[in-house]
Amino acid sequence: MSETSMQFASTLKVWRERAKAYADRILSLPNDSFEKTLSVAFWLCLVCAVLVAFSAVALKSLQEDNKAADMRRNILEVVGLWREGADINEAFKRFEVKVIDLKTGELAKDVDPNTYDMRKAAKDFKLSEPLPRDKDVASIKRKPKYATVYFLKDENGELNALVLPVWGYGLWSTMYGFLALEPDCNTVIGINFYDQKETPGLGGEVVNPNWRALWKGKRIYDQAGTPVLRLIKGRVNPGQEKAEFLVDGLAGATLTSNGVSNLIRFWLGEEGYKPFLAKQCPK
Amino acid sequence: MSDEALETEEFEFAKIKPVLVDPLIDNNPIILQVLGICSALAVTSQMITALIMSIALTSVVAGSNAAIALVRNHTPASIRIIVQMTIIASLVIVVDQILKAVAYDISKQLSVFVGLIITNCIVMGRAEAYAMQNPPLPSFFDGLGNGLGYSLILMTVAVIRELFGSGSLFGVEILPLVKNGGWYEPNGLLLLPPSAFFIIGLLIWAVRTFKPKQREVPEFKILPAHGEVA
Amino acid sequence: MSKVRAFLDRIHPLFVKGGRYEKLYPLYEMVDTFLYWPADVAPNPVHVRDALDLKRVMVYVWLATFPAIFVALYNTGYQANQAMQALGMETIPNWRGAVMDWFGYNPANPISCLMHGALYFFPVYIVTFVVGGLWEALFALVRKHEINEGFFVTSILFALSLPPSIPLWQVALGISFGVVLGKEVYGGTGKNFLNPALTGRAFLFFAYPAYMTGDTIWTAVDGYSAATPLALGAEGGLAAIQMAGYSWGQTFFGFMPGSMGETSTLAILLGAIFLLYTGVASYRIMAGVLIGVIATSVLFNLIGSATNPMFSLPWYWHLTIGSLAFATVFMATDPVSAAMTDAGRWIFGILIGVMTILIRVVNPAFPEGAMLAVLFANIFAPLIDYFVIQANIRRRAKRNV
Repeated sequence: MSETSMQFASTLKVWRERAKAYADRILSLPNDSFEKTLSVAFWLCLVCAVLVAFSAVALKSLQEDNKAADMRRNILEVVGLWREGADINEAFKRFEVKVIDLKTGELAKDVDPNTYDMRKAAKDFKLSEPLPRDKDVASIKRKPKYATVYFLKDENGELNALVLPVWGYGLWSTMYGFLALEPDCNTVIGINFYDQKETPGLGGEVVNPNWRALWKGKRIYDQAGTPVLRLIKGRVNPGQEKAEFLVDGLAGATLTSNGVSNLIRFWLGEEGYKPFLAKQCPK
Repeated sequence: MSDEALETEEFEFAKIKPVLVDPLIDNNPIILQVLGICSALAVTSQMITALIMSIALTSVVAGSNAAIALVRNHTPASIRIIVQMTIIASLVIVVDQILKAVAYDISKQLSVFVGLIITNCIVMGRAEAYAMQNPPLPSFFDGLGNGLGYSLILMTVAVIRELFGSGSLFGVEILPLVKNGGWYEPNGLLLLPPSAFFIIGLLIWAVRTFKPKQREVPEFKILPAHGEVA
Repeated sequence: MSKVRAFLDRIHPLFVKGGRYEKLYPLYEMVDTFLYWPADVAPNPVHVRDALDLKRVMVYVWLATFPAIFVALYNTGYQANQAMQALGMETIPNWRGAVMDWFGYNPANPISCLMHGALYFFPVYIVTFVVGGLWEALFALVRKHEINEGFFVTSILFALSLPPSIPLWQVALGISFGVVLGKEVYGGTGKNFLNPALTGRAFLFFAYPAYMTGDTIWTAVDGYSAATPLALGAEGGLAAIQMAGYSWGQTFFGFMPGSMGETSTLAILLGAIFLLYTGVASYRIMAGVLIGVIATSVLFNLIGSATNPMFSLPWYWHLTIGSLAFATVFMATDPVSAAMTDAGRWIFGILIGVMTILIRVVNPAFPEGAMLAVLFANIFAPLIDYFVIQANIRRRAKRNV
């Protein structure tokens, strides 16, 4: 035992001396010699690569947790469950995440809801399909084949809300958000946009809580089952005919307002969640 | 080696102080050298993003300066810039990864701008101008000083932009907004990147008024007009 | 008159170098040269081709805006009275009401309309004049340059280009930005490359978009919404404008909602005739803008578009709606920020015309393009001049070799 350890120590010593000799030789070379240039480049790259790789691998799980928590916070917010400082993951346990096939409206059993990223899938040629111009109401060019849907349930397993990811083009940017519906699949609980670059003060007001509060209780489908909810120019008069299908437009932001109307029309129409909602809430 | 002797020389704060303090006002990288402007425009609409960006840049420039100074005597001239870039880029990636892990929200708002520290002229400029000629410790402080000089301007711009553009500081409402029932009408221009140009311009004007040494020699002089008091 | 002259001569020593109020010389100089001619005279024969100097130029431009001011007063009041009638309002719930109750609110009564408009226009103009004038005087005193009549023009153009409902503190902020950052930081009149009035307006446009765009701001009555013909055009083209009851003649005379002084093409045209007759404004710039506007809008008419109704709007409508006419006559022809060479002025004008129509028709974000187009061309003016001069030098060099 002691023999092997002594042997090991002596080998180590030999190698250390060799390494030192190598380092001394390289360091004493003239800076501009060919060998030194190559050696410096090699060792520098090695050290940097190790550093970068180490930080990327070591921090990866933390980053993914953050990303998931961020998305969960947006989802909690749209149904009004998010509180500052609350445990996001704990609160999110009330949600059941499912992936559905947009075309049929059925559950997509072969897709894992925990790893499926709908926004990424919309850019993936295999997981999405191009939209012909006449159907591309929300100007998003491609739509994913599968969608992630979040079911909010209470303690008894009763359905409280459905949260649907939506997006569409406004004036300057694609606005990404969530739309929350009551279990009747027709009444709005809330809407929020977590990623948009509209004009600050005008179209950027899509994130304004006061404006978003106007959405609560609005209805999406008319008698014929067409999604008619839209933003109008100016303010909605509560007594006005069909006021439940209309939301105040954003002042001075016609194109952002149109973008929001369009994304509602698209995502709740035949190309979007309508097949799923029809199965979820049969007449 | 005489260089070794210099590097082990006792650390004297008196020598370090000017290296650390000069870049704050007298030789500020943004307002005197006018470097690193693009990120100063992009991230200063909020205090918090400006603060995180400042910390990120300061740690990169201090770290890269020290690392580059450490290998400066063995850096072949032919691959000098590549060596600097590799070190800087690695540090930036590490900082970016850390931000994504600990401050996800803000790193999302900063988006590409943390990554773009790689091309920030201040970092490359200090590496080439200072770290290649000086030992690691002073280089570290030079990087720190320049990073702080950058931070100082960023934070000043961000205070103005967030306070008057959104009525808040670090997201805390200071001037109650009209839309929330207060009296302050936010200035939307300050939320747009070009406004930082105006603010930095005005800052330069103010600093040069008090520090005439920073004024540039005019390229030409307009002769007094007819009747003008010369 | 001679008493004033004698008084000015008597106090003159106080303001010259070494005098007690030496620092206030620019103020003295302003009053003196505004009333009389400059004291410095050339001792030798000089190449004077015209009696015009900068002060006279600026005062002429100021005079040329008078028709536009008149219509601004009348139309602002007319639109407000009409809106009040439509809303069934009896009085205005602020100090204006106390004055206006004497005159009534009948849109058919021109005196009432003029008065009502005056109560909105003059506060804006007075604030512009006082705040901008203070900056102007401050810089003149510190920098020791003259106070310039250019500010007369800047102030009136700025005030005329604002919507009637603009809050006065915004007016103060806008003109401060225009005068300080649009002009004084470059060294004052003659050294700025942007039109200061437009710089101030652009500042307000981006800083407080809710007060500078939309349908509710063009009529000086709270809660009344009326789209400008230009906004209607962006929504539904010519059909929408005509459906709202605007005939071409009406937009030409200026009886429509809009920025106070920019609605009446006729009044602006009168100003243009005066400016061209006196030779103060460059006909090349105005003609250039016209060419640019006509060519670009005819091009869009020919291309056509199924989704964008602005493509089909004819050029003569483009001229009468929005602020294009005002920008062409008063903003584009600013002698300091426009191109200086004759050929350059044609290019400068055409650039403005093309950009205006491009922004109006193609850009979805901004309904009006004239302001941005003029500022854009201002930035290019020195470059245009540079190339014109270089081309001249090359041509002459060729001729002589």
